[in-house]
Amino acid sequence: MTVIDILFRVDEICKKYDKYDPEKQREANAFLDDAFARLYSLVEADIEKALAVRFLFSYPFLFLFSFQTLIFQINYWNKMQKSDKVSTEKNRAAAVALSAEIRRIKARLMEEVPKLQKLAKKKVKGHSKEDHETRFDMVLALPDRIKAIPDGSTAAASESGGWGTSSSNKKVKFDSSEERFGSDFYQQTEESDQFRQEYEMRKMKQDEGLDVISEGLDTLKNIALDMNEEIDRQVPLMDEIETKVDKTTSDIRKNNVRLKKTITQIRSSRNFCIDIILLCIILGIAFYLYNALK
Amino acid sequence: MSGSDPGKLISKADNLTTLSLTRWSADWESATRLYEQAANGFRVSKDYENAKLAFEKASKGREMLSSPWDAAKSMESAAALAKELRNWTEVIDFYRKASELYMQCDRPQFASDSLAKAACAVEDALPSDAIKLYSDACVLLEDDRKEQMALDLYHAVTNIYVKLEKYTDAVAFLLKLGLAADKCNATNSQCKAYLSAVIVYLYAHDLKQAEKCYNDCSQIDAFLRSDQNRFAGKLLSAYKEGDVEEIKRVAQSRSITNLDSVIIKLARKLPTGDVAAFKTNAAIGEGEALDENDLK
Repeated sequence: MTVIDILFRVDEICKKYDKYDPEKQREANAFLDDAFARLYSLVEADIEKALAVRFLFSYPFLFLFSFQTLIFQINYWNKMQKSDKVSTEKNRAAAVALSAEIRRIKARLMEEVPKLQKLAKKKVKGHSKEDHETRFDMVLALPDRIKAIPDGSTAAASESGGWGTSSSNKKVKFDSSEERFGSDFYQQTEESDQFRQEYEMRKMKQDEGLDVISEGLDTLKNIALDMNEEIDRQVPLMDEIETKVDKTTSDIRKNNVRLKKTITQIRSSRNFCIDIILLCIILGIAFYLYNALK
Repeated sequence: MSGSDPGKLISKADNLTTLSLTRWSADWESATRLYEQAANGFRVSKDYENAKLAFEKASKGREMLSSPWDAAKSMESAAALAKELRNWTEVIDFYRKASELYMQCDRPQFASDSLAKAACAVEDALPSDAIKLYSDACVLLEDDRKEQMALDLYHAVTNIYVKLEKYTDAVAFLLKLGLAADKCNATNSQCKAYLSAVIVYLYAHDLKQAEKCYNDCSQIDAFLRSDQNRFAGKLLSAYKEGDVEEIKRVAQSRSITNLDSVIIKLARKLPTGDVAAFKTNAAIGEGEALDENDLK
């Protein structure tokens, strides 16, 4: 069981048996009747809380003696453990956030102070004149106490250079002496000189390369334009050729068809049979004559 | 028949064409055929004179047979042979006849082609005649609205004029070239023509004319937007400053190499004469302007 668990359990048990705690009951009863006392106690509690938070944040490992602050501190410690490797930035951001929170609480408390003053003036039964005066003094002391809560903007006097809240700004100094710049400064310029020279060289080489490219592109552009014009010149010629060739192909087709018709007519089977018959007749006549003459 | 002596063929064809008591009408068809065969035979045997004569007669025959196309073709062959014989007047005559025959066939392109061939043949010997032939050829093409074909001819004329050192005429033709290019939307050729005109004027060492020409050409949108315009401007400003090195450097740049070869040669030779004179003139001009301002 961890410490946290123990603490929570203790808290719960106390809360459960609060009604049996005579002192607390008395206080609660007392406060029930006394608006001033109630309000005052609330304001006190808030101040304590703000101080504790601020205190805890600046000195995270100190323990305090109220359960609430203890729990708060332990939670905070756990968070710190969890975010062990939190960067300074984050811490600063958290610091800034907490400071803002504290400032808000302070503003709220300052608003409550006039109410408390009014209540303090009222007479309450069961309280003596001295109590009344002490109450008034307590109320007067409240604004100072509230203002005294550190929220990051009031600790100006202790910081050097008149700046900042967080610790990480301490390295930045604006009134440093001339000597610090002396030797370091010159060393830097040697390196940067070399760098600059190299940069200039490279730039020159790039420029040369770009010049070559631009010349090549110029030539290409001119060649392309000339080609374009030449092609434009050829287009009407091509159109003419196309029409002429179309005409010629149609003529040839026509002629082919006619030729085919003629050939089929010539080579038709009727003519062929007639040729064979005539040939046979001629051979017959020749044979007859041959026989006759023999 | 092709194997027989061309001379015999010619005499045979002559017989067929001459009218006599036995022959009442000339047989042009067979005669023309014979003439052509004879001409080919003579050409093969490198007897150019006779071949030329044979082609001439063949062309006449074709004309008689009402085929001007073939007649023109024969005439062109005759002219080519006359060129071999370096008989320039005959060359010109034959080509002109051929172009007339082509026009009869309603083919102006071929007509201008034959005139251009004629001009090309005689441009060394008779440059003025060549110029005349080229111009006629251009006129033929422009009548037929084929200006694009004329661009090469204009270039040729310009080259002849530059050779003859007649720079103003050369520029005139370059501007005509620009006009023709404009009609057929050949902006690149147009801009190149204008740039060439400026260069020719500068070569003739006439800065005022060059500037005037440049200003005139700058009126034209296409030229104004082109690279050639920028280049011409640079060249003229280099001239005005009288900076010889700058002129040489500008003249070596890429834009020049895309022009006609003759113009490139001119550009490489820039600057001709004394550019310092231009510089002082320019300075004086500026000085006067300043004085006027001061007086005001």
